[in-house]
Amino acid sequence: MLLGLYLPKLLPDMTVAVVEAIYPAVGDTLPAGDKILDLSVDLGSGFRQDCPPISHYRLVAREAVRLRSIHISPGEACAPGVLMAVFGDDADPDEIARPLRFATAGIVSHPGMWSARVRA
Amino acid sequence: MRVPLRLGPLGGEKVSVRRSGVNWLCEDGRACRAGEVIAYCNLAVQGDVRGAFAKESVLQVALASPVAGRLRKRSDISGGGFLDVIGAADWRDDETIGEIEADSGADDAGGDMPLLMLAGQRMSWAVDVDTGLLPGWHLATRAWWDHGGGGRRTLLNLGVCDAVGAIRGDRSGFIELFESADFPAHVTDVTDHPLAPCAAVLLDGHSRSRTALEALTLDLQRALADSPETPTAADWVFAGALLAQLAESPLNRTFDVLTRNGLERSEPPRAILLSSCAEPRSIRRHKKLGYRLHIMRHDLDATGPAIRAWLASAFDAVPRSLDDVASDYRRLIDTVGAQFRARFLILNRMSTSGREDIASYVAFDEPMGAILANIAAKETNLMLHDLAREKNVAIVDVDAMAAEIGGAAHLPDGIHQSGELQDLVRGQILDLLAGVGPAGDQRLVG
Repeated sequence: MLLGLYLPKLLPDMTVAVVEAIYPAVGDTLPAGDKILDLSVDLGSGFRQDCPPISHYRLVAREAVRLRSIHISPGEACAPGVLMAVFGDDADPDEIARPLRFATAGIVSHPGMWSARVRA
Repeated sequence: MRVPLRLGPLGGEKVSVRRSGVNWLCEDGRACRAGEVIAYCNLAVQGDVRGAFAKESVLQVALASPVAGRLRKRSDISGGGFLDVIGAADWRDDETIGEIEADSGADDAGGDMPLLMLAGQRMSWAVDVDTGLLPGWHLATRAWWDHGGGGRRTLLNLGVCDAVGAIRGDRSGFIELFESADFPAHVTDVTDHPLAPCAAVLLDGHSRSRTALEALTLDLQRALADSPETPTAADWVFAGALLAQLAESPLNRTFDVLTRNGLERSEPPRAILLSSCAEPRSIRRHKKLGYRLHIMRHDLDATGPAIRAWLASAFDAVPRSLDDVASDYRRLIDTVGAQFRARFLILNRMSTSGREDIASYVAFDEPMGAILANIAAKETNLMLHDLAREKNVAIVDVDAMAAEIGGAAHLPDGIHQSGELQDLVRGQILDLLAGVGPAGDQRLVG
């Protein structure tokens, strides 16, 4: 059974989220509780201002899964609802049966993030 | 009953004041509250002023209604165009700019208009903006007023966005603070661009000697001149602003204060407002000169390649634990707080989120305060409680206020507040400021 990871609307006013880090590689098996990816949300998107309202989030798997395909890359801006990754075995039917169960956590920015690397 | 909107005296006998035409902030016929700011003028002082406001190229007065009622503007008090920008007329005590059709029962009829005085030191002469209250980019802006009971309270805001919004307000002119206070006050707001005011930076600035300033200025000049990257306009603007901030500690300054009776010097701050979210967990320390810089990411993005190269080569990134932050706070309070007999008011951080649904912490490495935003905020808030127990510190409890009215709607990114939350934060700051007492009161409060 394939499970889809869709970008959640992390904040009511967010329009896009930027992919900051992707932790598993295609084919990796993740135990429940393992980190999947980090995102940043700039609520000031579209408006240049001297202190942009940026916050960071981590998505964590709430069930044991295998990463079958990844559809995003670090630095990419994604709209809510975008399919970011698919979990399941290669032999599974191609149809996504349901969304992946995951947890969301607010995190602080860290040097491993895409935005930190491009500034270094 | 019709109540004239009379300017009243300003500057006393020795200072003559020129004013621009009146810039209205609301429409004719508006139902005004007593004390509501309705207009402003740009000002210039002349006469026996001994170089007053020499560094502050912006001097304004915002005018408030003395009573509640419906506004009726005087039609010929605004010239329009540049006449409402430049000094177009002498300030006359008996000048009226309109009148208020007062609500029945108004008991303060005939009083002069309450004045909100504003001044600003522009970052450069080149960043002037002609319209609005304290427009443009300033090294420091100030507001003072003398209505209300008791002596004048003095507040120095060294916070970032979570404090600036509450202090400067929606129109950046301190209007909400003025309208909410029931005591006289002098409030200074210092820019956080490009140098952000964390405790370590403030400590270094407070103790910096002229020799040390000359050394760091020379170092920056050489870095740009010898840079492998060709400096861009953004590099020069950044360098100029940074030097302006480093050259003068906001903790060591006093200012001119224009009152109805004349000119005074401001008193040292009895309350100093800080943002705990301005305290970084890694800070730049100059490899040779030892001074520290905290530059927020968006300011770093705004500079050019030569400054980025200088920051990368001339500075070490020094990790800063929460204990280091607390230690810097203690040193700041022990030195600056003792010198001015000032109380520190520190905004804490929002530490919960209704959108977080962590079922297990397995995915997060120890120490979790280094990665999870809400745990980092909780640890910071606990540190502030420890500090408040041992030092003259009061916590501005953003965490509790935001949780009460809803963080998702009123503090979506954890820093930038809604108007409703700013009102709550402003109210708590004013309550604390009232408790600190007036500038001349030498009792140590806390």
